[in-house]
Amino acid sequence: MLNNNSQIEEEINSRSGPRESRKPRGRLLPFLYLLPSALLLFVFMIVPIGYTFYLSFFNWNLIAPTKEFVGLQNYINVFTDPTNQKVILNTLVYIILLVALNFILPYFISLIVNFFIGKMKGPYKILFFIPSLFSLVVGAMLFSWILNPVSGPLALFLRDFGLKVPQWTNSGAMAIVVICLITNWKVFGYNFILLLTGLGAVPKNILDAAALDGIPKWRVIWNIVLPLNKGVAIYVLILTIVEGLQYVFTPINVITQGGPYYGSSNLLYHTYLNAFVLYKTGNASALATVTFVIFLILLFVEIKFVEGRKQNAD
Amino acid sequence: MMNFRHGLKRLLGLLSVVGVAILFAGCSNSAAHKTVHITYWHVNAETQGGASVNKLVKEFNQTHKNIKVTAKYNPNMYQGLMQNLQSAQASGKVPDIVQVGWAFTNYFSDNFKYMTPTTAAQKFDKSKSTVTNNFSTQSLSFAKNAKGKLVGLPYSLSTPILFTNDTMLAKYGIQKSSLRTWEGVQAAAKTIKQKSGNYGVYIQEPADTWAQQAMMLSNGAQIKDSAGKAAFASSQGVKAYQLYQDMVTKDKTAIHTPWAQGMDDFTNGKVAMAFTTVAQASHIKQSVSFKASSQIAPTFKGNKLTVPVGGSMLALTSQDSTKQKAAWTFEKWLYKNDSLLTWDKGTGYLPPTKTALDSPQFKKYLAANPMIKPATDELANAVPWTSFPKNGLDAEQDMIDARDKILTGANVAQTLKAAQEKINAQQ
Repeated sequence: MLNNNSQIEEEINSRSGPRESRKPRGRLLPFLYLLPSALLLFVFMIVPIGYTFYLSFFNWNLIAPTKEFVGLQNYINVFTDPTNQKVILNTLVYIILLVALNFILPYFISLIVNFFIGKMKGPYKILFFIPSLFSLVVGAMLFSWILNPVSGPLALFLRDFGLKVPQWTNSGAMAIVVICLITNWKVFGYNFILLLTGLGAVPKNILDAAALDGIPKWRVIWNIVLPLNKGVAIYVLILTIVEGLQYVFTPINVITQGGPYYGSSNLLYHTYLNAFVLYKTGNASALATVTFVIFLILLFVEIKFVEGRKQNAD
Repeated sequence: MMNFRHGLKRLLGLLSVVGVAILFAGCSNSAAHKTVHITYWHVNAETQGGASVNKLVKEFNQTHKNIKVTAKYNPNMYQGLMQNLQSAQASGKVPDIVQVGWAFTNYFSDNFKYMTPTTAAQKFDKSKSTVTNNFSTQSLSFAKNAKGKLVGLPYSLSTPILFTNDTMLAKYGIQKSSLRTWEGVQAAAKTIKQKSGNYGVYIQEPADTWAQQAMMLSNGAQIKDSAGKAAFASSQGVKAYQLYQDMVTKDKTAIHTPWAQGMDDFTNGKVAMAFTTVAQASHIKQSVSFKASSQIAPTFKGNKLTVPVGGSMLALTSQDSTKQKAAWTFEKWLYKNDSLLTWDKGTGYLPPTKTALDSPQFKKYLAANPMIKPATDELANAVPWTSFPKNGLDAEQDMIDARDKILTGANVAQTLKAAQEKINAQQ
C-alpha cells in the first residue's frame, strides 16, 4: 500500500512539474471554463438589471422614440402612491403567510416524519411531492373551480351542513390567503423534501448519545437538530420568500388579476401590470429595483448565515 | 500557452465556418423561391377559433402559389399580442398582418407603423373603395382612431347580450319580456333570490369595463364626450352604476366575482341571468343542462339601446412593399363571404361586412344558433368601444379600479367622479 502511495505521489510530482512552467494556462483555464455561464449571466441578468435601473429614471412606454427623464420621481411614486403602498403592504402579508405555510409547516411535518414516524417515510415523500410536478396554472384553475363560492364542489358540499364558502375573490385578505394556499399546494412537497434531507444529515451518533442520556425528544430537536440544520433551513426560508413571491404571480394572474382593487396584488404582479399592461416602464422599473434591493438584502442574510456558518465550520 | 492559442484559433476557425454556412444557407433560401412569406398574428387559441384560422390559412396557401402565410398564435388575447408586437418592433422583425383589439386602436395607431386600408387599396388596387364599400359606415367607424383616421378593417364584431336560464325563470314565474330593462332585471333578480336563494344576475367582470360601459351607455350616458374627455360621471352614468351596486351590495342579487367563476355559476344553474359577450354563446350551449336562451341587452327605462362593440380589426404592419401587397391580398381574401363565414362560425363573432351578414348561409347559421341572433340585432345600435386618445390603457385601468371600488361598496358618484378626473388629467 505504502509503496503504491509513494508511486502515486511521484506521479503527481512529475505531473505538477511541467504544469509550473505552463502557469498562465493554469490561471486562464478556470476563467475560460467559467466564460460560457458568465457570458449568459452577463447578457441575461446583469445587462437587464442595469437597463432596468437606467429605465427607472425615465417615463417611457417601451416603444416611443423618446424617453422623458424624470429623475427620482418614479421612486418617490413607489413610496407615496397609495396603490403602491397597498401593494408593498400586501407583499409583506404574502411573505408572512408564505413563511408560515411553505416553511414553518413543512419544517414541522418533516420533523414529525423524521423523528416520530418510523414507517411509511417513502410514501409520504412521494405523496407530498406529487403536486410540485403540476403547473401552477393548472393548480390555479383547479382551485378557482373547487373554491367557487357559489357553484364549486366545496360550496355544494358545505351547503349540506348549512355552511357557506365566503366570496373570497371580493376581499383582498381572503384572496391572498387562497392564493398562498395554492402556492402551498405546489411548493410544500419540494420544501418538505429539502428539509427532510437536511434532517437526515444530522449525525446519528449525536442523536444516539442524546437518547442514551435520556434527553427528551423536543430538547434534542430544539438544542441539537435545529441548530445543526440551520444552513438548509435558511436556504429553504430564502427560497420560500424569493420564489414564493414569484410563484404567487401565476394564481394572481389567472384568478384575481390583482383585484379587488389591488387587494391581492404584490410587488411582482404590480411591476408586471405597470410594465406590460399599462406600459409604464418607468414606474415598473422603479418597482423592480426596489424589489431587487429587498431580495439583495435577503441574499445578504443568506450568505451571512449559511455560507458564513460553513466557513466557521471549516 | 501555445496549446491555448492553438485551441482558440481552432475555435475561431470553427465559428467562422459555421457563420459562413449560416449566411449561405440564408441566401440560397431566399434565392431559390420567389414566394412571398408573410406572417399573420392572431389571438385565437385552439378552442377559440384557432382551428378556423388554420383552416383559412391552409386554404389560402393552396389557392395562392406565390404567397405563403404563416399564422402565429399570441396567448393572452389582444393585450398579449400588443406585448409581442412591442418586442417585434424593437427587434425590427414585425409581422405583416395583425389583429388589434378595439381598446388598443389609439395605442396602436400612435405607437406602431402601419398601412391604412385606404392607402393599401389606392396603392395596390388603384381604387379607393373596393374593400371599404362592403362595410357599413357604422362598422368602419369602429376602426377609426381619435383623429378619425381608418386604422384597419373591422374583422371580429361582438356585442353584449343577456343570457337567461329559462328553466329557472319559468319556475319562478318571470316573464322574459320584463327583462328588456335593467329595472326589470333588478326586480326579477329579487324575486329569484327570495324564492330560491339563488343569485339573479352576473355581469361580466374581465380585465376591462366593456359590459359596464354598455350599462351606462344604455342609460343615455356618454363614456367620452366629443372633445375626447371622459364624461361617464354624469347623472346617467351614476344612476346606471348605482343600480348595479344596489344589486350587488344591497339586494345581494347580483354576484361580484371574476369572469370565469361567474360564467361557471351561470352554466351550473346557480345564477338566472348572465350579461356577457355573444362570444360565450357556444360555451354556454355546450355546458348547460337547462334550457338557455338569449335576448337583447337591457336598457334603462325610457332610454335607447346603445352597446359598445367588442372584437378586433385587421391592420397591415408590413414595412416592405412586396410583403404589403401580399398581406393586402390575404386580407382581402379573408373578407370574402365564405372565409368570413368559416371565421364567424369558428369563433362566434359576427360578420363585419354587409354582404356576409345578409348572406343566406349566415341566415341559415343563425337559425341553427338562435342564441347569436340578438347580438346581430344589436349591431345597428353599436358604437365604437371607447378608446381614449392619450394614456388609453391607464384610462381603462382607472375604470376597472372604479368598478372594483363601487362593487365593494364605495360611494358611486364620488368614485366615478374621481376616476373621470384622473383620466382627464392625463388627456
